[in-house]
Amino acid sequence: MSKVKTEIPWVEKYRPKSIKEMALPSARMRGQRVKLDEELTNFIESFFEERIKVNKKNKQIREFNRTASDKERKDELKIPPEKAAVLLEGPPGIGKTSIVYALANDFNMEVIETNASDTRTRATIEKRLKETTKTRGIMDFIAQSKEKLILIDEIDGIYGVQDRGAIPTVIELIENTQFPIIMCSNEYKTNLQPLYNKIQRYEVHPLPENEVFKIAKKILKNENITNLKEEDLKLIIDKNNGDLRGIINDIQGIAQGNIEGDHKELILSLHRDNLEEIFSLIRDLFQVSSLREARNLTNKSDVDYNFLYKWVNENLLAFIKTNRELAEAFENLSMADEIFGRIRTNQYWGLLPYFFDLFAGGVALSRQETPIAKGFRRVVFPRYTSGTYFSLTNVEKDFVEKLKRKYEISQIDFIQEFLPFLKILCGTSRKQLKIVSDWLELDAKEKKILK
Amino acid sequence: MEEEIPIWRIKYHPKNLDQICGRKKVKETLKHIIQQQNFPHMLFVGAKGIGKTLIAQLFSKEFLKKTYNANFKLVYANIPLSQEERKKARSEAYVSTSKIGSIAGRRITTPAFIQARVKPFVQLKVLVGAPFKILIVKNFEALGQNQQGFRRLMEIYGRNCRMILITTKISSIINPIVSRCQIVLISSVKYNDFKELITKIAKQESLEISDEAIEVLYKISEAKISRAIDLLQLSSISGKAIDMEELYEYSQKFRNELIRSLLMVAFKGDFPKVRELARKILSNYKYDIHEFYLLLLNEINKFPLSKFTKIKLMNLIADSDLKSLDGRDNDIQISALLSKICLFSEYM
Repeated sequence: MSKVKTEIPWVEKYRPKSIKEMALPSARMRGQRVKLDEELTNFIESFFEERIKVNKKNKQIREFNRTASDKERKDELKIPPEKAAVLLEGPPGIGKTSIVYALANDFNMEVIETNASDTRTRATIEKRLKETTKTRGIMDFIAQSKEKLILIDEIDGIYGVQDRGAIPTVIELIENTQFPIIMCSNEYKTNLQPLYNKIQRYEVHPLPENEVFKIAKKILKNENITNLKEEDLKLIIDKNNGDLRGIINDIQGIAQGNIEGDHKELILSLHRDNLEEIFSLIRDLFQVSSLREARNLTNKSDVDYNFLYKWVNENLLAFIKTNRELAEAFENLSMADEIFGRIRTNQYWGLLPYFFDLFAGGVALSRQETPIAKGFRRVVFPRYTSGTYFSLTNVEKDFVEKLKRKYEISQIDFIQEFLPFLKILCGTSRKQLKIVSDWLELDAKEKKILK
Repeated sequence: MEEEIPIWRIKYHPKNLDQICGRKKVKETLKHIIQQQNFPHMLFVGAKGIGKTLIAQLFSKEFLKKTYNANFKLVYANIPLSQEERKKARSEAYVSTSKIGSIAGRRITTPAFIQARVKPFVQLKVLVGAPFKILIVKNFEALGQNQQGFRRLMEIYGRNCRMILITTKISSIINPIVSRCQIVLISSVKYNDFKELITKIAKQESLEISDEAIEVLYKISEAKISRAIDLLQLSSISGKAIDMEELYEYSQKFRNELIRSLLMVAFKGDFPKVRELARKILSNYKYDIHEFYLLLLNEINKFPLSKFTKIKLMNLIADSDLKSLDGRDNDIQISALLSKICLFSEYM
């Protein structure tokens, strides 16, 4: 059978070396289609032009300042932020980081990467990047070393309660940089608005399926994998939703794994964070007979645990029946929820193991009397969105506004006290309903609330 | 001729301080203040639904007289900020770098609530010759941590704007705020005053109501006048004579029947159904989770249960309420409580 070399991940192995040989994802800037390779090449080139210009002028200014009196001194110029940095925004795994590396390779630059998810606080960003960006080191002048390209990956992960200072630091970084900065982000975040105002933002879209298919085929051929059927490959591509990194990882996983086995099952156990995985995970979870199994399940999956325990909450009833078990299960789940709350508010991340064990093992092992479910159990979405958030529908809001012209009442009092009364009153007779709705000048939609 | 108002609660809504039922002492003090044309910040304390806000509003109206519309604002602390308000607060919190002064380019760290709802009002100058503006903050305790932001605000803008803070729970208000205010306790209506009002209304609507019925009404409405008037109107629909049984019947409907039935189903031990019902109640009535627990507690007190069971159930509710303080998912906490009650019911 095929001999598979597994020293380096294929994702790294097949990372494009040059932007020209790369299958470029389509991109948009302010709704207009642009060619990403041209735009980025232009960006890098114009940055260095601008830097030479600005530095030249600064040199003159500095010389002028040296002799000038305090009052006459001029400020040094800076490279405008829209020329110093760009932001690539798009779903994970479509090649944002790869573009940057390919670009750096083309320009013979060195990439300095920070993963925003690792280095989150202001202090760490300053420590890692600020000095690099502001000045070119002494060594750079002596040894004509490579130019640098700064990549701030996952910039959307930078923001949290604990690192409020991070965004201003990044902005400061952009204003003072001596090297081009490219940032990547997965989604639009309102928190990042100050950043968006300063720089160019490109929306990057996933590759079309046929392109992905071509790339996958090429890799298969290269690695001499003959036993992956075309339809299975299509399945993988389908499951990954254009996430090329995920696809390559999956193919490698299959090639490394037990090749004789049934591929589809293997693929099912491999594919990333999507519905089927959660479904099967939930089903598996309630079959476990030991804490270790439960722990393995949660460790193995990369489903977001923010949501996983909500799935457990919603689906628990399908697997656990008796009141005794239910009480036990909910006791553990509520404890897990409390712990999670404390983790999030106080950043007690050390408590995370308890959270995992309680919501997975703790809940699943509460099932003692109910027999293990045989056959298919339907797994449902956590549809109840809880939270203390108080919000009215638009119709209700209009209703209150109309009422407020005649009678001062708060929205909460209206819903909890006044509306039930009105409903009973209007329920007594059609005449009453008509009188009340005429007096309040309600329209048909608002009338419906009263029924 | 004014048009006939079909909802009695609105029809008999007091238009000035004198029309407010009972509470003579409070009214006297407030009237005295109006004569003096000066008062410190005030903190109105009293049970839910007895008319604190109404009194504060009518007082401000009479105090400010013609300038009422320009110098008065009522804000609700327990209604979360809308998307636009949040945006506004965020953009306002940033001082432009083009401004002059040490604060230029800085970010002001005022809580969004104060930035969006309170500051724009208190910062504005007093209009048309009133002594100062009046700001009423309803359900002040709901501000929680943001109360701290009010301390400086009350001092800095105190000359410009006096505040009337309204709360049901004085214990959850931080001490520095309490010490900055004059506390005004507002009691619920006494029976005699209540009776006077109801007979007046009954006369006007040509109803027949016995003293006993009034007594019943006083009890079941928990001395909340607006609810009593609602009940009166409902039972008047079937006939001019007010029947006690009818009053009871309607009050049952009011008493959020759902919460009662929720407990009934829970005592039967049918968990899936209970959970369904609880979710329905929470989404229809938009209760805050804490409020929901209190309603359950109230309802349990009314059930014919032994002392031991009641205490046990209270313990469960308290425990769950405590957990939900830290917890993130209310549904889980409520489900946990209900599942425990279901289990407990098997031993009852």
